[in-house]
Amino acid sequence: MSPFNKIVSRLSRPTSQREDGTATLEPEYTVKPVFELKETDDAWGLTVHLPGVAKEGLDLSVEQGLVSIRGERAWEMPADWTQLYRESVAAPFMLELEHDNTVDAEKIRAELKDGILRVSLPKTEEFKPRKIAIE
Amino acid sequence: MQLNGAPSNRRNKIMNRLIRYTIPRVSPFRGTAIGNSWSGLESEVDRLLEAALADYPKQATPRFPVDLYEDKDNLYVRAELPGVNREAINLELVEGYLSLNASRKTGEQTFNLARSIVIPETVQSDKVTAALEHGVLTVTLPKQEQAKPRKIAISVN
Repeated sequence: MSPFNKIVSRLSRPTSQREDGTATLEPEYTVKPVFELKETDDAWGLTVHLPGVAKEGLDLSVEQGLVSIRGERAWEMPADWTQLYRESVAAPFMLELEHDNTVDAEKIRAELKDGILRVSLPKTEEFKPRKIAIE
Repeated sequence: MQLNGAPSNRRNKIMNRLIRYTIPRVSPFRGTAIGNSWSGLESEVDRLLEAALADYPKQATPRFPVDLYEDKDNLYVRAELPGVNREAINLELVEGYLSLNASRKTGEQTFNLARSIVIPETVQSDKVTAALEHGVLTVTLPKQEQAKPRKIAISVN
């Protein structure tokens, strides 16, 4: 997570006011998860930490130029429990990454295991490095 | 000459930093939300903060969030440990402290995670159980019998 988002994460939320001044619904408070992005010759590898997120609560979509990941936590505190001390945040995870359309959307693969999401985003053929044979 | 040494070193350091941050990052991905008017400022502030924080060493063992709950029978500790195997978690209850040790393997790297939590009341230490689900560890610590609230029915004649 970038230091700026750590300190003022609320600043990065979209504005809640419409242009004509009428207020829309209060924007949802989301958390940017810890993530890591790696590059190989063939693909981008994205690792996202999503503790407490089950497969059912995970939403991964790849639109034109935007990969967005949203994770809802599967656990809810039972009604008869009392909270004594809390460090974790119950808000859903939200991560949006822009890309320059070098990703082959058809071949994206994702795996969620033990709260870690691994996404492989293969590059399109034309953007892969090519070896040129010298005659 | 010695007096001049220190400031020039410092200037070099600053220059290095300036050079480092003028090179654009070669990545087609940027962690910005769509329609986000703050994104330009955000990356600028990130750069400034990174430059300012660069001289401080990073925390040796990263902390992970821990929650504490109770109900009438048990105390519950929940810890966020994504990507940690069951075998890599070590739990110990010593004199009112629950110590949590875990390691996460990422490729060849291994990260050690450790926390110690004060358990606010005495528990039945031999009946402590733990479960790991979706990268969240839940430790259940049953309270001592005398610590439970008791309801005594009194019949009125």
